[in-house]
Amino acid sequence: MGERTRSTWKELLSTGSGKAGTAFLAVLIIISIGVVVTYPADFGIKYWSNPVLWADNPRVAPPSWTNLFSSFKHAETVVFEATEPAEKVSEFGVIRAGYSFDLNFNADESPTFTSLIVQDISYRERPPVLTLSIERPDGKKIEMYRLIVSGPRPGEEAPFSRYSETPFRVQLSGEMNVAAAVSDFLKKEIGVSISSQDLLVRGVDIAVFGKPSGDEGFDVLQGSYKIKVDALLYDEADSIGLVKFVVGGSVYGLMGTDTLGRDLSIGLLFGFPVALFIGLVTSSVTTVIGTFLGIVSGYMGGKTDTTIQRASDILANIPLLPILIFLAFIIGQNLFVIMLILIAFSWPGLTILIRSMVLQIRSGQLVESTVALGASRFRIMFKHIFPQTAPFVFAQMIFFTPAAILAEAALSFLGLGDPSLPTWGQILERGFSDGGVYVGYWWWVLPPGILIVITAMTFVLLALGLEPVVNPRLKRA
Amino acid sequence: MVALGTARVLAVRGATLFGVLIASLLLVIVVLGATGVSDRMMGAIVNEQVRELRQSLAQTIRDPDELERVVLAEREQLVEFYGLDNPWYFRLPDMVWRVLNLDLGSARTLKSFAGSTRVSDIVLERLPNTIILVTTAMGISAVMGLYIGVKLATRVGSRLDRGMSYISAASYALPTWWVGILFILVLSFQLHIFPFGGIVSAPAPTGLLNRTLDIIWHASLPVATLVLASVGSWAYVVRTMVLNTAQEDFVMVARAKGLPENIIMRRHIIRVAAPPIVTSLVLGLTASFGGAILTETVFNWPGMGRLYFDAIMSLDENVVVALTFMFTVLYVGARFILEVLYILLDPRVRY
Repeated sequence: MGERTRSTWKELLSTGSGKAGTAFLAVLIIISIGVVVTYPADFGIKYWSNPVLWADNPRVAPPSWTNLFSSFKHAETVVFEATEPAEKVSEFGVIRAGYSFDLNFNADESPTFTSLIVQDISYRERPPVLTLSIERPDGKKIEMYRLIVSGPRPGEEAPFSRYSETPFRVQLSGEMNVAAAVSDFLKKEIGVSISSQDLLVRGVDIAVFGKPSGDEGFDVLQGSYKIKVDALLYDEADSIGLVKFVVGGSVYGLMGTDTLGRDLSIGLLFGFPVALFIGLVTSSVTTVIGTFLGIVSGYMGGKTDTTIQRASDILANIPLLPILIFLAFIIGQNLFVIMLILIAFSWPGLTILIRSMVLQIRSGQLVESTVALGASRFRIMFKHIFPQTAPFVFAQMIFFTPAAILAEAALSFLGLGDPSLPTWGQILERGFSDGGVYVGYWWWVLPPGILIVITAMTFVLLALGLEPVVNPRLKRA
Repeated sequence: MVALGTARVLAVRGATLFGVLIASLLLVIVVLGATGVSDRMMGAIVNEQVRELRQSLAQTIRDPDELERVVLAEREQLVEFYGLDNPWYFRLPDMVWRVLNLDLGSARTLKSFAGSTRVSDIVLERLPNTIILVTTAMGISAVMGLYIGVKLATRVGSRLDRGMSYISAASYALPTWWVGILFILVLSFQLHIFPFGGIVSAPAPTGLLNRTLDIIWHASLPVATLVLASVGSWAYVVRTMVLNTAQEDFVMVARAKGLPENIIMRRHIIRVAAPPIVTSLVLGLTASFGGAILTETVFNWPGMGRLYFDAIMSLDENVVVALTFMFTVLYVGARFILEVLYILLDPRVRY
């Protein structure tokens, strides 16, 4: 058997399609293993479907690299995070912890939003005070926002813990106090008078990241900005877990975002192991059942044969997609249910094929002589008949894998996917049902489709490469 | 003797195909019944009707006790009418029996565009749409596939042949619905050549010619999608059939006789390779009446596939059962007719 496996490999790798298929499969497996190792098990429910986690991302932003192809440079989303202050000075019992982020801003538009997130504050005596200020390229400084952490509640005991469960998050662009502070800044430092109400309507960011240009408009002020968060703590043991500042752009990351601001690259990566799992498990179970019943049916003959053949005839003739949709909708959108249905309706095709092969093998001399030697029926079926069908069975398994992947993708595209496990089909479905096709969110609907095609294509290539192994007559051609 | 054997074989095939029909219907109603979906759905319909009744009766009957009594009596009648007082395995077989007698019944929630609830009305409205889309596409791909397939078979191993076999393999990995999305994105959104979906413009153009042109304009993208998805496998099937026949002895004899190549192709090869190709053609044709659920969804095309999907989504069990019956009967009928034709037409097929 080992010898045979090795020669199969050799044969597979001798064809172009076999080589390409093997290379693709290796990449798919490596990515999948990486995802399985690094992603949490409950990724679907706890992370992907949790809007709070994605609140800091711009909505439906195309990938950052689109800037390379356009003359207008979109603002990129930048996220700054710090768990430790850059500097810590202690004077007269007050500790000043300074966080500082350098932003090199050279887009042709101001950020779409800015937000400040603070998490995990604990204090003992007096509540800490945090101040956010931005130093602009023109040397001017805007005091944007001040956060006074809420004081102790009656009956609460020190140390007081704040924002540990849900972080404190403020969207600066829509904040009244910020607008007032910026309006003040504009009047004093720039000499432009815009009411804070007007600023709120037009967006604070165009003023913070801009310089006035006639008619009360603003031009983008490019250059390096310094974003500073200064915290005043009143005890050595007081601490701030995390300070985060988000400069929202209109492009994001490698693959862009969807309407919830979800980073599509994260969801697409998760789709790799799920697709492989669906394809390989469904096809191998189908193949095992189909082969087993085919061999039994072909070798045993008689009533067993008739029963199995009638059952496969009936099942193989029931139209799959409508029944699949019907069952998935009624029984439940669970990945395992979907896979079970696929298996239930897919084995008969293989059983019919294997049976006809077994009928030929059964009348061969090998089987005749083993019968004469007194081998048991079980032994003959699985020691002598099965190995002769094995290459064909293996090729069938490879060939059926993309069918399972495509069937799941089709179901997901109809909105019947398993919500706890995001797949490429589901991402596509969201993109399509949110109107992605009609407004041109190509980065949302193209990549999942391309990944489905690549994965399915990998197995088609492998099946093509295996053809000479299964059908040795083809080698001569 | 021979005739008797043939009749027996046909009887077995017929019984199997009838088994397919019954199994499909049983599967659908057992799932509807055993999961309680049917009971819940009917219960909701009864509740809705009782609610409406109470509202209208409240205008005339002032006494609340009297009202309650009348409503309750009416409710019991409704429960009996819908057969809800019996468990599903008494109620649903009636539905199968009725459908088998070609009475498709009426929909519970779905309506035709004209407002009728009769399933046959709804189907008659949708069927032409699906024929315009799916049957046309199937016809185009079959004709193209025949042409390309025969062409490829005459030059096996050529670059064209190898290229085509890769393309048909690739089309197996290409989800049709995604190709549709791709088309919309490029040709409708980017280039504004074709509409995004639907079957006619709103408002629909007047005049028969304009209307026809409008429908053709709307159908081009989905038809192109379906053709692209299936033409590769058509060509490949035809090529294989023709090749298999071309290797037979009588073809070699014809060549040895010195017959011209095109006559060999026409008279000896294609004529013999035709039956399996006709089979694919007939089965493809019947299957096309069932619509294309995914493509119709992508292009927002009100056809049979979409109807089936909507029926499932709104749990309209009458429509689901009726359509399952229709699709399966079409398929089973076509299979049986082919079986008979085989025996009648090909003298070599004898059991």
